[in-house]
Amino acid sequence: MKKELVKLIDLSRCTACRGCQVACKQWNELPAKRTKNFGSYQNPPDLQWNTWTLIRFQEHEKKNGKVNWLFRKDGCMHCTDAACIKVCPTGALYHTEFGSVSMHADKCIGCKACITACPFSVPKYNADTNKIAKCDLCYTRLQVNQPPACVLSCPTGALQIGAKDAMIKKAYARAEELGGDANVYGDKFVDGTHVVYILPERADVYEHLPVDPKVPLEIIIWKDVLKPAGLLAAGAVVAGCFLHYITHGPKTPDDETTCEGGNKS
Amino acid sequence: MKIGMIKATGPFERVVHWCVALSCLLLCFTGMGMMYHSLNGLGTMVGGMANLKTIHNFGGIFFAISLVFTIGMWWKEAGLFSFPEDWQWIIAGGGYLWHVENMPEVGKYNPGQKMFFLVVALFGAIMVASGLIIWFPFSFAVSLVRMMYVLHALGFVIIFAFFFVHLYLVTIGAPGSAPAMFTGWVTKAWVKKQHPKWLKEMEEDGTLVVYGEEKCSKKGRC
Repeated sequence: MKKELVKLIDLSRCTACRGCQVACKQWNELPAKRTKNFGSYQNPPDLQWNTWTLIRFQEHEKKNGKVNWLFRKDGCMHCTDAACIKVCPTGALYHTEFGSVSMHADKCIGCKACITACPFSVPKYNADTNKIAKCDLCYTRLQVNQPPACVLSCPTGALQIGAKDAMIKKAYARAEELGGDANVYGDKFVDGTHVVYILPERADVYEHLPVDPKVPLEIIIWKDVLKPAGLLAAGAVVAGCFLHYITHGPKTPDDETTCEGGNKS
Repeated sequence: MKIGMIKATGPFERVVHWCVALSCLLLCFTGMGMMYHSLNGLGTMVGGMANLKTIHNFGGIFFAISLVFTIGMWWKEAGLFSFPEDWQWIIAGGGYLWHVENMPEVGKYNPGQKMFFLVVALFGAIMVASGLIIWFPFSFAVSLVRMMYVLHALGFVIIFAFFFVHLYLVTIGAPGSAPAMFTGWVTKAWVKKQHPKWLKEMEEDGTLVVYGEEKCSKKGRC
């Protein structure tokens, strides 16, 4: 591993300017599509195959009765124990040397297993190409020591990227500085994500943010138990058949074992 | 065809058998090509993994239709157990596992074959249902689709293991069985050994067809 990176998202500094959303589209050449106004500044309503990062807008009533606006930059969390990579049948999704989850688009066969498996509902399906699409943490930029487009665009310092340990250290220092319910989200589950939030509020306050994300149990049973079991069971049966043949022997018709039957010599 | 051979299956039976058998094998191998990364080469053979998935999906439809015919055709003969003789056979391990002096006489299908049929019918249906849901995951709840992956993989484990038992028995495990599904004609010695009760039933009913002999009318009069 070359250098494990973490993108740190300090939501206390986010002003929802959506510069990151636009920069992402620009760098990744993602087209804009007609969208729906559902009574929110949040646009589009959800992540899409052509929208890899999205600022979510949420009205939140505080304990003292005051309403404040919560902004959250949604997108791929780049898990270490990534459910999408676990289920991908072709190896299209993979870990880069930075720990991020990237994708060989030519290998994707549009099976949608990653969409089902992802605890964050991040991969989105493009029916035109029959492939999925999601944030790759600007892998091509990281390779030439450039920050991802979203980080570069951020005017308030809410987004930064750096070595994993340093970023996590920074995250805890900032959470402590903020005080109250502020906490660090991302380093404690799925073996650590490569996108880490500093949340000013408790995690369960945020919409569409799982409090305890994990690789779904069904996926673990499928890939870690049944997948090897398929070969083990078949192997055991073949071995059992061979043992049966050399110990008990085949069930041969009676008169074929006599002179009048098969052995007419 | 040798004179004296006994007709065990009709052409329709054999065609349905091979439809379900070959499509099942096709699905096993194309499915394995997707489940095991080391077998991704199977995708290369058909021009890419996307083609492998297409073959798997539409092969599944062919399998589903074949399975309907299979169940319809064999349900009465192989889907129902007849006690107590089937129970005695099971207790004796079918005579396959240890020496048994007096094996209960077996009809057209022994309980082992019945169990095999029921497993194929049940897990085949599970594979079709779970496969369709996995094919169109956006039409169903995520939690359901996740469970279908488990069922689909479980069905593979069972069916793939059973396939080898089947293969062993029809080749070297019980010699003389395979022609029943190729030409349809088996030796009398084989029927006597494997399905003596069926032989008696056919003789009594006059439904026994022996190659080279004129077909007997009912009640055994030729």
